Amino acid sequence: MLGFQVALQPANLFFCFMGVLIGTLVGVLPGLGPVAAMSLLLPTTFHLSPVAAVIMLSGIYYGAMYGGSTTSILVNIPGEAASVITCLDGYQMARRGRAGAALGIAAFGSFIAGTLSILGLMLLAPMLAEVALKFGPPEYFSLMLLGLVIVTFLAGSSMPKALMMAAFGLFLGLIGMDIMTATPRFTFDIYFLMDGVGLVPVVMGLFGISEVLLNLESKLEREIFETKIKGLLPNRQDWRDSAWPIVRGSVIGFFLGILPGGGAVISSFVSYGVEKKISTHPEKFGTGVIEGVAGPESANNAAAGGAFIPLLTLGIPANAVMAMLLGALTIYGMQPGPMLIKQHPDLFWGVVTSMYIGNIMLLVLNLPLIGVWVKILKIPYEYLFPLILLFCLIGAFSLNNSVGEIGLMLFFGAVGYLMKKFDYEAAPLVLAMVLGPMMENALRQSLIMANGSAAIFFTRPISLGVVLLVLALLILPMLPWVKKKREIIAEIVE
Amino acid sequence: MKNNDQRSSLFWLVVGLAIAFYSRKYNLGTLSSPGPGFLPFVSGAAMALLALVVFIQQIPKKRDTLKSLWAHKKWPAVPIVMASLIAYVVALGFLGFILDTFLLTAFLLRVMEPLSWNKVLAGAAGATIGSYAIFQLWLEAQLPSGILGF
Repeated sequence: MLGFQVALQPANLFFCFMGVLIGTLVGVLPGLGPVAAMSLLLPTTFHLSPVAAVIMLSGIYYGAMYGGSTTSILVNIPGEAASVITCLDGYQMARRGRAGAALGIAAFGSFIAGTLSILGLMLLAPMLAEVALKFGPPEYFSLMLLGLVIVTFLAGSSMPKALMMAAFGLFLGLIGMDIMTATPRFTFDIYFLMDGVGLVPVVMGLFGISEVLLNLESKLEREIFETKIKGLLPNRQDWRDSAWPIVRGSVIGFFLGILPGGGAVISSFVSYGVEKKISTHPEKFGTGVIEGVAGPESANNAAAGGAFIPLLTLGIPANAVMAMLLGALTIYGMQPGPMLIKQHPDLFWGVVTSMYIGNIMLLVLNLPLIGVWVKILKIPYEYLFPLILLFCLIGAFSLNNSVGEIGLMLFFGAVGYLMKKFDYEAAPLVLAMVLGPMMENALRQSLIMANGSAAIFFTRPISLGVVLLVLALLILPMLPWVKKKREIIAEIVE
Repeated sequence: MKNNDQRSSLFWLVVGLAIAFYSRKYNLGTLSSPGPGFLPFVSGAAMALLALVVFIQQIPKKRDTLKSLWAHKKWPAVPIVMASLIAYVVALGFLGFILDTFLLTAFLLRVMEPLSWNKVLAGAAGATIGSYAIFQLWLEAQLPSGILGF
């Protein structure tokens, strides 16, 4: 009831709508993902209440999952990374004149999966928050380490390169005043760096500016299906073929989304792999089968819901998007963790309920507005990119009314551009940057508890279990068959 | 150097070593009582070590050239756009938000594909007015005014 009281307030409804609309737009337009969009809009949310701000930012995330499928199906270019796999069968369905059915099942599957994952979030989060109260600094340190290792395990084909970026992100997160000893670290007497390197300008640069620069140097040929898209409602056979893939995709996505480092991208791949494996006609995958759209699209939306769980209950972001939200919550003066539900029930239940409402809005937006999204896709990039850059510049400035933030953003824009050229992943860097200070605190507190003995990480059962998992993930990529699978996935994503 | 991974890993090796070396300036502490320099040192050392791993892993791999990264790309766009953004930042305090934004948007609209001047000026004006309305009037962002007072 509290959730509905909060979510149905007119202001919160409005910002929920704005969030899902912007999220869908961001998902439709290739080149600007949900992380960049959230970082661009974060400064504008300072004038809102924290609840409205989080509702809007969350809406951008799961809205982008809906929108990404539109370009995957119509243009064979994923709007964002979690919709890469939808290109395989979705685009083929469009070529065979079944774009409407593909778009329809993607929307309905996303809605069902999103709803199921919100139910899971409602049931699991309070339980996990109670369990998390028993976690101490050693468990938190181990879990954060696990999150970093998982995200590097899943990022691209080179784990050493991804781990290198995580180490660099860790370093960036430690720049500034050390809160325990009040020692300024790596500030070089620059006043601006005393508070540390801001997350928002770094993310805007790495994901926003660099993406624009990459798009400018490539001429993206887009063949958009011009035929009238008809029949958006899937027929009975489509539902019969898609029902179980949607259910399986929802479960796979939800649980992979919870895992620190997991998320929408890997869940869509796993779902596709599972559907192909258990299908009675696996040879047809890649030629336009509806299960190849229903499963992955459900999985990526369910993962979006699942990803909120570690953030809201443990205060540990599961991926770069959640790292942004963590940064936002900290700016609003809220500490995500086991006490969040108790201390700010209006925030937790308001956000969860608004996700229900947001999913309904998305279903309504995505189906009738397909024609509008297609028109937007046709806007030449030459008109769009100045607006994206302008938004980045003003957004960065308005953080602290400082040109230093813009300079930082441009610096990381150049860094991000070069990182992409040389095939280095930005997600591990961002996650490590957010987790770095938290890990340092947890490490120090753990060592204080254990009178300086590192054995505490191995003598406490939960921490030991997590550390063993970390070691397994570090060793697994060396196994030949795991290496091959990672290379195949990296090739598909490229 | 054989390929781009080796070239980039050398860069990160230098960065990692520099971080680890500079971290000693802050108290490293001990393993049982880490000081403020401990984790930065660990991160720098880890970067350097991983860079070495990447360098060695690339020894049996194929050759490629730095030029290949920019083959068939409209690469001049990148330094031109970056230079314009840097110029925007430098001129912001002097010209003020409105004039600086108008000039930047007009330049960006004209530089990539030569749109007609009517479209460029209309687009630049529209973007400037729109962003001023959203950020200054609605969100009260306190955008800077320049020597002309606006």
